Amino acid sequence: MRQSSKGKALMKRRSALALAVVLALTGCNANPDVTPDAGGSTGGTEKGGTLTILNAASDINFDPAKSQNLAITTLGLVLRRLTTWEVQPGKPAQVVPDLATDTGKTTDGGKTWTFTLKDGLKYADGAAITAADVKYGIERSFAPELSGGLGYHKSLLVGGTEYKGPYSGADLASVETPDAKTIVFHLKTAYGDWPWIASMPAFAPVPKAKDDPKKYSQTPVASGPYQVESYQQGVSVKLSRNPNWDAATDQVRTAGPDNVVFQLGQDTTVQSQRLIADSGDDRSAFGAGFVAPAQLAQIEQNASAKQRLVTSDAGALSYLALNTQRGPLKDVKVRQAIQYAVDKRAYQVASGGAIGGDLASTLITPGVAGRVDYNLYPADPSGDVAKAKQLLGEAGQSGLKLTLLSENDQPNLAKSQAIQQGLQRVGIAVTIKPVDEEAWTAEVSGDKGDYDLTVASWQPDFPSANGNIQPLFASSEIGGGGYNSARYSQPEVDALIEQATAETDPAKAQALWAQADKRILQDAPVVPLTYTKNSFLHGSKVQNFFVPSFPAYPNYLKVSLKQG
Amino acid sequence: MRLLRLVSGRLVSMIATLLVISLITYAVFVLLPSDPAQLSCGRPCTPERLADARAFMGYDQPWVQQYLAFLGGIVTGRTFGSGAAAVHCAAPCFGYSFQLNESVTHLILERIPVTFSIAVGAAVLWLIIGVGTGVISAVRRGTAIDRAAMTFSTIGVSAPSYLVGLLGILLFGFTLNMVPVNGYVPLTEDPVGWLWHLVLPWCVLALISAAVYARLTRGQMLDVLGEDYIRTARAKGLRERRVVGRHALRNVLIPVVTVFGIDLGSLLGGAVIAERVFSMPGLGALLLDAVGNVDLPLIIGVTLFSAFLIILANFLVDLVYGVLDPRAAP
Repeated sequence: MRQSSKGKALMKRRSALALAVVLALTGCNANPDVTPDAGGSTGGTEKGGTLTILNAASDINFDPAKSQNLAITTLGLVLRRLTTWEVQPGKPAQVVPDLATDTGKTTDGGKTWTFTLKDGLKYADGAAITAADVKYGIERSFAPELSGGLGYHKSLLVGGTEYKGPYSGADLASVETPDAKTIVFHLKTAYGDWPWIASMPAFAPVPKAKDDPKKYSQTPVASGPYQVESYQQGVSVKLSRNPNWDAATDQVRTAGPDNVVFQLGQDTTVQSQRLIADSGDDRSAFGAGFVAPAQLAQIEQNASAKQRLVTSDAGALSYLALNTQRGPLKDVKVRQAIQYAVDKRAYQVASGGAIGGDLASTLITPGVAGRVDYNLYPADPSGDVAKAKQLLGEAGQSGLKLTLLSENDQPNLAKSQAIQQGLQRVGIAVTIKPVDEEAWTAEVSGDKGDYDLTVASWQPDFPSANGNIQPLFASSEIGGGGYNSARYSQPEVDALIEQATAETDPAKAQALWAQADKRILQDAPVVPLTYTKNSFLHGSKVQNFFVPSFPAYPNYLKVSLKQG
Repeated sequence: MRLLRLVSGRLVSMIATLLVISLITYAVFVLLPSDPAQLSCGRPCTPERLADARAFMGYDQPWVQQYLAFLGGIVTGRTFGSGAAAVHCAAPCFGYSFQLNESVTHLILERIPVTFSIAVGAAVLWLIIGVGTGVISAVRRGTAIDRAAMTFSTIGVSAPSYLVGLLGILLFGFTLNMVPVNGYVPLTEDPVGWLWHLVLPWCVLALISAAVYARLTRGQMLDVLGEDYIRTARAKGLRERRVVGRHALRNVLIPVVTVFGIDLGSLLGGAVIAERVFSMPGLGALLLDAVGNVDLPLIIGVTLFSAFLIILANFLVDLVYGVLDPRAAP
């Protein structure tokens, strides 16, 4: 997924601007050298208390068909899926069983997957969770009325492309439930990462009798440790314990707090102020949004707040895409020259400095299993101007003029300007074309592709190298809503992606993805810039709060509160 | 009878104005590059899924047809999709937010009490402070009071509301711990809590707007105090308080009421900044979220509602003119 939602991005910009003014007035240092709690801490889980999560968004959609939630955040507290993620600081994310007894078995090389439900699983109302409920939950995600969620399974399941959901009266034959505890998936082609796909929200069980598509987003039937007790759109959502959740069947959720309250529509600047002040109920709270670089300055001045700042390890990839189907950029030598010409250090500074991200050289990001660290274009962080000029000379290019499509908010413009200035050193004149976020998305994912360069960031929807590589570099992802912003098409790489996708042995698949990573960068369709870091702030009673590399968000499932 | 004719005439013109605004708003948003179906398509979004989402939301039709369906929905309601998952938006349906799974009408009605609580309280406060300060400044022209009031109003006019709001929260909320920093408590649930949570937003909005009204009132008052009829009133031996309060202020209020009507109408349409800073779920916060999420049906609905409030406020101002100035009576 692209980092940061539209609403959050908008608010972040406004809040950051406002706080910058406040800080200027109060004489704070705008360029802090913050040494945050790297990754956060873990320990024993104390039970009790009310955890408050401050959220800038005004709405939480609990309908699993419409949700794009990560397995370890909000929905994970209420809804279990067939599999889920075990995420710990400093370790790659792992897929682990959730409702199922294992992460799926395949007997035909990845085309058919079978899962068996654990014994004694119940919803909050005491009813048994069945395989038919999981099938129904998946089926309803195909309904156009409930579109909007993560839908990787839709094009993988046999008949999925044509299926329109259960409300039209049909069922999806490629999902079989031979008995109440067994569910079998028939895929069009072998897919080794299906266990990860089974961790997505659509794989949460939905009892057909309780399905009201118009209200399910606020009144889901809980299978996780919490249930929705009250929902006030724009104000708050309160979760209370699910009396029928059995901790013995759940290896990832610790369910420490008695209640979880999401306060909605909270201004990000005020969120930070509340958490810095750390008084009353805010001691048991954390902010769901990133702490903006400008706010880090104030935190630096406050020893207590500084202790409660948690910054992820380097995570999502930020990169410069070179449109491989445009003019001189069709020449691999020119693209390789740009690898050396870019000033990554300047880009890092424009992104908030070292706390904003580490310099990147690979496509597979830290925290994803199987990543191999390498650098095909070794150079000083500021680039290698001589080498770039040499490659441009070999390509017979001089006085290049390129257009860089940029989102028009200040942080993105600053990053684009850093790229522009870097390339100017080797005689490449870059014209920045600023557009709003929607227009940027439409242009980058549309069929036309009227740009030479663009800066983008990407965090996969699931922690497999597949999620790093396929959406950005498979030729099937050019235009038509896909995110192959470099418009890169290489049959050899497509074949490699296909082979790695079908591989069911994780070790072999990881080796193939690492091979694809290097092969793609030999063609230099993108310049890896930074692995971004996200910072979060929490109150003094919050425990077990950590932010891994992937996903670079707090693991809500482990957070607890200090008692007494 | 004249009043009835005026009201019915104005109603017709209000509806015509709203129709024009709705047409322009709809056209602007439909012609923008954003595709609401794409935003609701999920990820990955295949062309087939996109076409399904577009058809469900009604965006597969030509935009004129979409607009007519929108107008029809206001009168008869609308249904999106079919079967058990069909979404019905009851009349008056000002659109349906597919992101919030709710009719725009319902969302607006739900947020009105918050915005009205903020707007009305702040408006009363700024009118009293602004007009009072303006009158005193004019009557005490050139004195220290006048200079202090005008300095204060210059600061108020030039201070961005977001900044004033944040500083207010920092000072009165976090440092002095006098008032809650955010949130809204419904009047029906807890009147004291309602008042307590609104004090700071009211003061922030009043501080900024009162400055404008103080300057406006002062300027008008100085003009009016130089008029012949004021001299006549004074010559007749009327007390100064009566001259200012009864004869001068009445004329001063005519332009003040005009501006007040527009300001209050705009604020009722959403106190955007105040609601965001104080985390209050009003129409302004709703609109801001809708813009951030490119929720086009919601943007169109809230825009139209805001326009309606401004037009209504203007209409009410016209009626008040009649009271303040009998020559302008209907």
